[in-house]
Amino acid sequence: MLTLFLRRLATAIPTLFAVILLSFLLMRFAPGGPFDGERPLDPATREALIAAYGMDQPLPVQFVRYLGNLAHGDFGPSLVYRDFIVTELVANGLPVSLTLGALALLLALALGAGSGLAAALKPGGRADRAIGLIATLLTVLPSFVTAPALVLLFALGLGWLPVSGWGDGAARHLVLPVIALALPATGAIAKLTRAGLTEVLEQDHVRAARARGLSPWRTLTRHALRPALVPVASYVGPTAAGLLTGAVVIETIFALPGLGRYFVQGALNRDYPLVLGVVTLYAALIILFNLLADLAYGWLDPRVRG
Amino acid sequence: MRLPLALLLLILLAALIGPALLPWRFDVIDWDAVRASPSSAHWLGTDSVGRDLLARTLMGTRITLSVAIAAALVAMLIGTAWGAIAGWAGGRVDDLMMRIVDALYALPFMFVVILLMVVFGRSILLVFLGIGAVEWLTMARVVRGQVIQLKARPFILAAEAGGSPPRATILHHVLPNIAGVALAYLMLTLPQVVMVESFLSFLGLGVQEPMTSLGILVKDGADDMDLMPHALLVPGGVLVTLLLCLTLLGERLRDRFAG
Repeated sequence: MLTLFLRRLATAIPTLFAVILLSFLLMRFAPGGPFDGERPLDPATREALIAAYGMDQPLPVQFVRYLGNLAHGDFGPSLVYRDFIVTELVANGLPVSLTLGALALLLALALGAGSGLAAALKPGGRADRAIGLIATLLTVLPSFVTAPALVLLFALGLGWLPVSGWGDGAARHLVLPVIALALPATGAIAKLTRAGLTEVLEQDHVRAARARGLSPWRTLTRHALRPALVPVASYVGPTAAGLLTGAVVIETIFALPGLGRYFVQGALNRDYPLVLGVVTLYAALIILFNLLADLAYGWLDPRVRG
Repeated sequence: MRLPLALLLLILLAALIGPALLPWRFDVIDWDAVRASPSSAHWLGTDSVGRDLLARTLMGTRITLSVAIAAALVAMLIGTAWGAIAGWAGGRVDDLMMRIVDALYALPFMFVVILLMVVFGRSILLVFLGIGAVEWLTMARVVRGQVIQLKARPFILAAEAGGSPPRATILHHVLPNIAGVALAYLMLTLPQVVMVESFLSFLGLGVQEPMTSLGILVKDGADDMDLMPHALLVPGGVLVTLLLCLTLLGERLRDRFAG
């Protein structure tokens, strides 16, 4: 297990490094610098500014300094949100995004695994076909269509829930965003659980367990569920990436003060340090989730521990 | 599978010839009808600045489809070439090339595309090049697997034994045999690309006004949905139908060719 972890870590670190290097270079070679405003600056002032931000140093020196700053969580100043450094914006937005993402992941796992299980119990049955169709539909429904549709129905139409806003994290404000974010992942997880289970349920060790007289429920929980969850575990990485990406849209639609909304604002305003910081953070999170998924994979399926 | 195919063809046809049949262009403003309800003049009504919604939906579908097809072709080109070279070369080259694919799989794609948009400005060309450049990974994996299987088949060995140079073997014997699988994955890439494009356009980072796409229309519709819900539901419905049909057909093709 430890070897597996170390091996995965050995590939994760270069990937993260590559992301940081790539985004750093992109930012430095981007047309238009941070001091190319509408009014041209006095050359001496410009020089002084460039020196103050260390941008007169050779690129490798700048990169090492940037890495050093990142290492203690300093993403640099935001160019658009004056008086804010990117780290503050990230610190404000991250808890919102993580709450949203974690709740959506839990909901997707519970609903997806549950309905996948229900479908796999009687393959080819009516429930199986209905769940299959709904799951496919869910995976193709973009969250930026479902979210406004949900608002239209439950907030504007029925008036049960607020239209948008964070409301200091009140549960009423979280319901619609979490559901809209969780739906695509739910469909994918349901499909994977069903596929995994139908395959495992036909294997010899499951039949042997049934033949020994174990109840169907006990067979399922003791012998079938763990191997069946392998494909689901391998999908946790992409799911996390999908939730982070989805959160960008959901936060924009529901006007939630999360990381995704800062990111979109930064992207629209060409606020390079903000965009860079958020991309680096997202990359780190996604790589972390891939790592966790690999570990879960190793726990579920001893054959890959090697 | 008849229904998805029929629906897809209908959408394609409407996007292709629909805009030419309407009296209103997608970017022309009707000053007498701003935020108008559906009527005989404007079958789906008009948007917040008085542009005909039917014309905009048809045009948006056309743009979304064009970007998607172009991007999926870029993805197929890169993926097939990468996978075929890796599979054919084998050994260390293969190892290294597939390692790179594995590493790229771990990247947050949407964010890389957005980063590219921020740095190089927003243009339709960049939208589909960027999307194509990040959606080729699965294609590369699948093609590589196919090529490795093919390499051991007698007819390829026979071609090589007969003195056929590698280039000719790949062009005449390998590529025709992976065409089916590549086509299936092209179909499966299409809905993903449609999704990415609409996602970017929805955020204002993809296709730019006055040009339109389904993503922009969904965004405009969502802004106006308290007054006219159909402005959201129509483009949203077209988008979802398109995605569903493409996915169902792609999965069917994949099951047929890749077993």
